[in-house]
Amino acid sequence: MLANQPSLTLYLLPLIQRLWPGFLPGLYRASLLSQQWQTPDMLLLTLKVSGRWPGFVPGQHIVLTLKHNGRYLSRPFSICSSLKRWQSQRQIQLCCKINSMGEFTPLLAQLPDNTLLNISQAQGNFYWQQPALPAVFIAAGSGITPIAAMLLSQRHWLAPVILYYRCRGPENAALLTELNQLAASQPMFTLYLSDSSTEPAGSWQQQLAGDVASKQFYLCGPAGFMQQTRTALLKSGVTAGHIQQEQFGLTMPAVVIAAPGNQPLSGHFISAGISKTVLLNAQQSLLQNAEEHGLNARFGCRMGVCFQCVCDKVSGQVRDIRSGALSGHGVEQIQLCVSQPVTELVIKL
Amino acid sequence: MKLTTEQFNALAHELDSVKQQVQQQLGDADARYIRRVLLVQRLSALSGRVLMVLGFITPWLWLFGVLLLALAKILDNMEIGHNVLHGQYDWLNDPVLHSRRFEWDIACDAGSWQRTHNFEHHTYTNIIGKDRDFGYGLLRLSNDFRWRLRNLWQGGTYLVLSMLFQWGVSYHELAAQRVFAGKKKTDRHSQVTDRELKQAFFGKGARQLVKDYLFFPLIAGPMWLWVLTGNLLANLIRNLWTSTVIFCGHFTKDVHVFTAAECEGESRGQWYYRQMLGSSNFTGPTWLHILTGHLSCQIEHHLFPDIPARHYPAMAQQVQAIAAKYGISYNSGSFLRQYSTVFWRIMRYSLPGGDTAVKIST
Repeated sequence: MLANQPSLTLYLLPLIQRLWPGFLPGLYRASLLSQQWQTPDMLLLTLKVSGRWPGFVPGQHIVLTLKHNGRYLSRPFSICSSLKRWQSQRQIQLCCKINSMGEFTPLLAQLPDNTLLNISQAQGNFYWQQPALPAVFIAAGSGITPIAAMLLSQRHWLAPVILYYRCRGPENAALLTELNQLAASQPMFTLYLSDSSTEPAGSWQQQLAGDVASKQFYLCGPAGFMQQTRTALLKSGVTAGHIQQEQFGLTMPAVVIAAPGNQPLSGHFISAGISKTVLLNAQQSLLQNAEEHGLNARFGCRMGVCFQCVCDKVSGQVRDIRSGALSGHGVEQIQLCVSQPVTELVIKL
Repeated sequence: MKLTTEQFNALAHELDSVKQQVQQQLGDADARYIRRVLLVQRLSALSGRVLMVLGFITPWLWLFGVLLLALAKILDNMEIGHNVLHGQYDWLNDPVLHSRRFEWDIACDAGSWQRTHNFEHHTYTNIIGKDRDFGYGLLRLSNDFRWRLRNLWQGGTYLVLSMLFQWGVSYHELAAQRVFAGKKKTDRHSQVTDRELKQAFFGKGARQLVKDYLFFPLIAGPMWLWVLTGNLLANLIRNLWTSTVIFCGHFTKDVHVFTAAECEGESRGQWYYRQMLGSSNFTGPTWLHILTGHLSCQIEHHLFPDIPARHYPAMAQQVQAIAAKYGISYNSGSFLRQYSTVFWRIMRYSLPGGDTAVKIST
């Protein structure tokens, strides 16, 4: 109250950051130990995390924040390393898909060693819930990261586990060395590698030979792949309660496709914790869209001058009506009155 | 208006490209600059408050402390607060420097200020009857307002307004909505209820009063009276300074005012045109620009309110050249010269008669 800031820490932040570089309230410091290319587009980052960081459940993700050109930029990434690595060495590893057209991931490849980064607490509900039951893990592409953390962290193997790992050939299979080692040393664990350039997407069904009823399923991969796999599983008699999947971070389209003018996109507006899904008109500003659906958005000049309608975009891409500039896909602030939807959006009003 | 539609479009295009050039350069230098200003502000606020208590050693320390606190309050109000609340630094994603989260060290609630200043004043700059910043409903600054007896002593009203400027700014939105007195205007639509307005006004105001006149004096123990007086002085200095800067931005002698009718359905070029004519600059050294939050470049601020203000002096040269090209008058002069014309305007219109908006702008 005295400082006109939500907390004294925020008031003193400019001083604290002088004494303790990289400090950000609510986040933890992590320094970059090494970068290593796993595949031509997957980069493995090894981070030494602060002793204050409370730890994670394998399968969870963190939000990584870095400072670039004065700006703080943040993106979520799943942890792919084992719990043991954190417990014994205070290290975690992130396996990040580098999108050369993206705003954030190319920066990761350029970071010098020992760069100070910030990470959030671990979050997410995707974890190995019943290790005592037989399980099938199905991963595609970068979807391997949370699943690798679960498998590499497992100490007591109580039931047979199958990993069906789909990617464009072994040279594009990140974390393959670790997984092969695990398969060699652990008889309960079987690894199937499936080449997506030669095998059809449903080839895992033959390998399971219809024996699906008693198993738990864990899926992670691109949205389309997951949707397809889930439908096939449900069709073959698996109950929905036996399927766990990670929605997070991978549902965003990897390629920027400007929506044709008349094609409706869905927008999820979150206000006071309640989410409302509406169809967006890509010809109109988000402010007009929100108002047409009776959503109470703050506004002022309606021409991008007064910044009253600034709100948080959680995911998706928008276009600035004035300049035509496209935004990133991640979390950032946008002005509703001068932003048009380009992809599906999640917005906090 | 004198320019043709094509000329207005060309004007908009040229000014847009000035803006774009700067936008492309935004980066680390801006981030480092504003974070350094923030650091100076925090250090002078903290050391100012400590030095005031040390006034028992020698009153000079107290005086130095008062000046440091006044500096901190001015920086917080102008170069940091005003500019951050315009969204100039939103792109940094900084937890302290974001327009949605920022709160400043003055009586006015930041949200209320964004509604009245960012929206009303910046959209309707110097339109009589729409921009209540033109005279703040207290001063008669053109003959578009009927002369009343109370205008006779508006020189005194002006002095009081300047001394209590932060409270005037804070009360501004409540006055518009007739929260306490007067008949509700049917053409005004508020996004917030009267109750929320009162809450923001009393909540923020009380917090400021408790902080400067109760909490800090109390923890100073036997030095309480020194601290209380020092805080009062620091607030007074800040109020006088901000009031002076802002009056120099819009109420100089040659500044133009407009009628609502002539601004109806205006294009972007016409909006730019009105912003240029409705504002005035003053010149001075860099430190003066910083203390004004670069509102010494009021014209550029009104053209590009969301561009980080440190770029205004450089942009001013380009804008002045563009103004000359289109024959638009560019109102700039030394601080003293501009201020003396503000004073002239306040005095002139305390008497009946004078020019009206239509006369001035055509």
